[in-house]
Amino acid sequence: MATAERVKQDMPPKGGYRKINFARVFPKPFASSRAMVGTYLVCTGVGWYLYLLNDRLVDRYQVESRSSLIAITPLLDAEADREYLKQLRKNRETEEKLMKNVKGWKTGTLYGEPVYKTVDKKELIEPGLNEYYVHAPDKVLYDRVYWHKYL
Amino acid sequence: MVVTNDHELPTYEELTVEEVPISSPGLRAAAHHIGKYCLDVNDEFMMCKQETKDPRKCLNEGKAVTSCALEFFRKLKGNCFDEFQIYSNCIDKSSSRMDFEPCRKTQAVYDKCVFEKMGIERPEHGFFCKARVYTGNRPKPPVKEPQVFGDLPVGLKDFKEEERPPAKYGQRNWFIK
Repeated sequence: MATAERVKQDMPPKGGYRKINFARVFPKPFASSRAMVGTYLVCTGVGWYLYLLNDRLVDRYQVESRSSLIAITPLLDAEADREYLKQLRKNRETEEKLMKNVKGWKTGTLYGEPVYKTVDKKELIEPGLNEYYVHAPDKVLYDRVYWHKYL
Repeated sequence: MVVTNDHELPTYEELTVEEVPISSPGLRAAAHHIGKYCLDVNDEFMMCKQETKDPRKCLNEGKAVTSCALEFFRKLKGNCFDEFQIYSNCIDKSSSRMDFEPCRKTQAVYDKCVFEKMGIERPEHGFFCKARVYTGNRPKPPVKEPQVFGDLPVGLKDFKEEERPPAKYGQRNWFIK
């Protein structure tokens, strides 16, 4: 047992080990919660108010813009109506010319059978787009239908 | 096409009048003043369009609208050509949507010129968006009579509302009464 006496036993340091820090460490608060909530409310309120002001301004612009459009609507409509009626007449003449050799064909009807049976003969029912552009190249119709392509 | 030879369409001569050769920025720049200058004619035309719902019946009103606009633009050209040109150019090139907002300075010059030389004041903000009372003397269109059918089924009485007897078991939704 002589060797055993020479072995130095590993013992804790004097005064013991230092304590293990297992407690939760909170970060240092930036400001008190009341101040934070208060700041949030104030910022949001001011933001809302500025949004409201801007919204009113945008509304004002839009009303002015719409107003100008309404003011020239009669002018644009008058021209468009005239152009529309011209095109209707042109379509009718074209159909007459195209179908003059077909026996029993009446313009605007299917061999004399009218498209609208219960309405008055002189009442103008506006033709659909496909009919309106019947004698035009396809591109004209597609340009009209997909006009937003060119925006 | 659905248009037959029975339909009365105006001839090309009737439909051909001198149009207004102005592009969108110009029309937009002059819009408020045009609306004020041609107020009665425009109202007449729009009333006609709304009441008849037929483009053939409002040709004369439409021609009046176009000639009024032409007259306005001729006057404008004679009096305030440069101001108008600068203002419409500004509207054309200041934004992608032809906003009025970036052109207040040129607008002020243009407005002043139009007011001094032609006597047309810019209408108040949103004037054309407000409802107006029509003051022309266009006759009211006849009200369409409701359809009356003579072949009512036998034994079915055509009650009027006041002589209808009360329901035998009342109404399920008693609270409506």
